[in-house]
Amino acid sequence: MSRRVIVFLLALAAGVGLGLLYGWVINPVQFVDTSPDSLRPDYKTDYVLMVAEAYAANGDLAWAARQLEDVGGSPLLVAQQAVLQAQKMGYAATDLQNLARLAMALQTRTPVPLGTP
Amino acid sequence: MSSARVVWIALLGLILGFAAGLGYSWGISPLKYVDTSPASLRSDYKERYRALVAAAYQADGSLVRARARLALIDGGDSASALAAQAQRSLAVGDDPRQAQALAALSAALIASPASPAATPTMTPSPTLGARVSPSPIPTASPTTSPTSAPPTVIQVTPFPSVTPTPAPGAPFVLKSSTQVCDPKLGGPLIQVQVTGADGKPVPGIRVDVAWDGGEDFFYTGLKPDVNLGYADFAMTPGVSYTLRLADGGQPVRGLAAIDCKTTDGSSYPGGWLLTFTPP
Repeated sequence: MSRRVIVFLLALAAGVGLGLLYGWVINPVQFVDTSPDSLRPDYKTDYVLMVAEAYAANGDLAWAARQLEDVGGSPLLVAQQAVLQAQKMGYAATDLQNLARLAMALQTRTPVPLGTP
Repeated sequence: MSSARVVWIALLGLILGFAAGLGYSWGISPLKYVDTSPASLRSDYKERYRALVAAAYQADGSLVRARARLALIDGGDSASALAAQAQRSLAVGDDPRQAQALAALSAALIASPASPAATPTMTPSPTLGARVSPSPIPTASPTTSPTSAPPTVIQVTPFPSVTPTPAPGAPFVLKSSTQVCDPKLGGPLIQVQVTGADGKPVPGIRVDVAWDGGEDFFYTGLKPDVNLGYADFAMTPGVSYTLRLADGGQPVRGLAAIDCKTTDGSSYPGGWLLTFTPP
């Protein structure tokens, strides 16, 4: 291999290394202005739990569904995923009940697609 | 190979390497925001998050849990952020229940400051422990507030025309009404102070105010820098107001800006301080 190629490859590697150093150490990515749908699953589950707690008190399903739309996906799907995540994380029984009630209420509210005849 | 040529080759390698890095990070595998924390939420989402924390607190009464959740976005001074948001919420005409919930949580946080040992971690726990009884519900006031507590009373004069009789069953009655001349208030205010039987300020009391051609309402407790039982309303000079506590209190009529004088003889409009206590 010629000396030119070696120098080129070394410089290329140095360039990539410098880029990584800059991007990961000197000026790492700052997460700002994110939306609830990007939250870590445990934070997202707690977000849904807050909605479920409030729904248990005010009974306003339309309000609850609007809050869950921020989390991404259909409110029903978000609530169901939260139930599963909460079970996995060992949430208290009361919290699980609130989440399940919200999911069930959304299930009733959401139109069910008709099956094929 | 000349040294100049080596430099050019190295420079070319660096540039190509950098371009390859950018191409990969922007084109092939662009950055995706995943697994973020509530602290990184956009400001409007943070406000919705706070509103949700307050709504959940109203439902479950767990101040420990609410405090832990707020610590994820506000760090230290959640009470002020909540109170300010409650006032904004009222100002833009959001559902009053939301402002009420925000102010209730703000008042509860102030009334029950966190001990250092109870500082929450940055990870929400599904079993955040002890349930705390909900505090009385405070809320919003649409005006600017004086900056110190308690309300400053420069000139105190008995108010002859306001002597309402207690309404049967009314939780609070007018105990005193005094004229207030204080240029530092920035304008004539109706200041309301609600105090419980134990002498402590009572937040969350709705105050209705009406005048010829309009009406409004506000709540005690949204200006915790004064005290939790305080609220105020900015008067327009020349307009007569009628005020009453929403919980069945007797109306206080004829509240209008008064004429106050400074030490050099110039005049400015003053207001009223109304104190309510249990009968």
